[in-house]
Amino acid sequence: MDVDLVVVGSGPVGLYATYYAGFRGLRTAVVDSLPEPGGQIAAMYPEKLIHDIAGLPRVRGRDLVAGLLDQANTYEPIWLLGQAAQHVQRLDDGRLRITTTTGVEVTTRSIVLAAGIGTFTPRPLPAGGEFVGHGVDYFVTDPSSYAGHDVLVVGGGDSAVDWALTLEPVAASVTLVHRRPQFTAHAASVTRMRESTTSVRTPYVVHALSGDDTVRRAILRDTSNGDLLELDCTRVVAALGFTADLGPLAGWGLSIVDRHIEVDSTMWTGIDGIYAAGDVTDYPGKVRLISVGFGEAALAVNNAAVASDPTAQLFPGHSTATAA
Amino acid sequence: MPFFIAGDCLDVLDRSCIEECPVDCIYEGDRKLYIHPRECIDCGACEVVCPVTAIVSDMSITDATRPWKDDNAAFFSEPLPGRDAPLRSPGGAAGVGRIGVDTPLAAGTPAAGT
Repeated sequence: MDVDLVVVGSGPVGLYATYYAGFRGLRTAVVDSLPEPGGQIAAMYPEKLIHDIAGLPRVRGRDLVAGLLDQANTYEPIWLLGQAAQHVQRLDDGRLRITTTTGVEVTTRSIVLAAGIGTFTPRPLPAGGEFVGHGVDYFVTDPSSYAGHDVLVVGGGDSAVDWALTLEPVAASVTLVHRRPQFTAHAASVTRMRESTTSVRTPYVVHALSGDDTVRRAILRDTSNGDLLELDCTRVVAALGFTADLGPLAGWGLSIVDRHIEVDSTMWTGIDGIYAAGDVTDYPGKVRLISVGFGEAALAVNNAAVASDPTAQLFPGHSTATAA
Repeated sequence: MPFFIAGDCLDVLDRSCIEECPVDCIYEGDRKLYIHPRECIDCGACEVVCPVTAIVSDMSITDATRPWKDDNAAFFSEPLPGRDAPLRSPGGAAGVGRIGVDTPLAAGTPAAGT
């Protein structure tokens, strides 16, 4: 597909850059390795209150993401989620072609890298990895597909507890295991889970999974004494958090120092057509905050727009006067 | 440097923090762990899981923990005992494995109860 701008990363800064590109009339695609937008906020602190967003004195992480998503969707961007931007290639006409990890090719005039701390990869289960895709999932994308199943959720963070609560009314049964008695999830969610029919077992880890073409049974291990416990289950949700690294971007020829991309005051990376914004960037005086990232998103998009079209104005106009 | 690991980690080495860190920036010395000040992204995931509350935000530093802040940085910026060059920025603890050496401050701190 052909677009004017590709935003790499759908965290808060990527979502705002997507809105801004649309506002400038650029046909925009967004690539993110996770199946849901929201980046670090969605993956690590969806329930936390954020206090330093301009104009929003207290906003829950997931509410900020919902608002940014609504804003970004104003101009109907193309969403390429669940795939990472892997390769970039310069075409003869000067445009760039990105290939994603699922093989999608996007040709674009400009790229804004809002890559944060990099590509998120789900932390693997300590055992039973052979059943991933055969009853074991890292994300719940369709809760209705769990109907009638005995579900084992593994983890103690917000994702694990949220998914247990989502699946509890749908599944035949839900058991949640976590290797510590303490949960890092929002306390109110943990209380709701304990008051539900969810069977909560701590301190347990998954020792092994067994089955045939799909998972049938889990062997859990009590981390306090090593005792093993067998549990019938036909679906497993592994919500053990994420690890992140810049991954494929390291091969793009960018100037990367200490996992950050060096940019100038126009957010340009030094490669024609490639700009960056948000936590991934570095320059003298850099402060890694969402509020700074929003400003960088506007800088990156406006400068990219002018670089790819010399007849364009750097200043986009005020949204009060020009927005649809 | 948003978070660092104080002396309470000495001889405990629970490693729960290593399992939580999304950027793999917690390195294992000999008797304690160390957070890389430039690789840490200040997410706080490690702080809540430490069983001995050894992980400290530099926003809540005390006189007792202050020396450990500099010591976490020194683990990477100064050559460790028996080594010629500092670790600098390995870009992930898994890639270098257990270092097996402590800073002079950690090595010289007696075990608890002795």
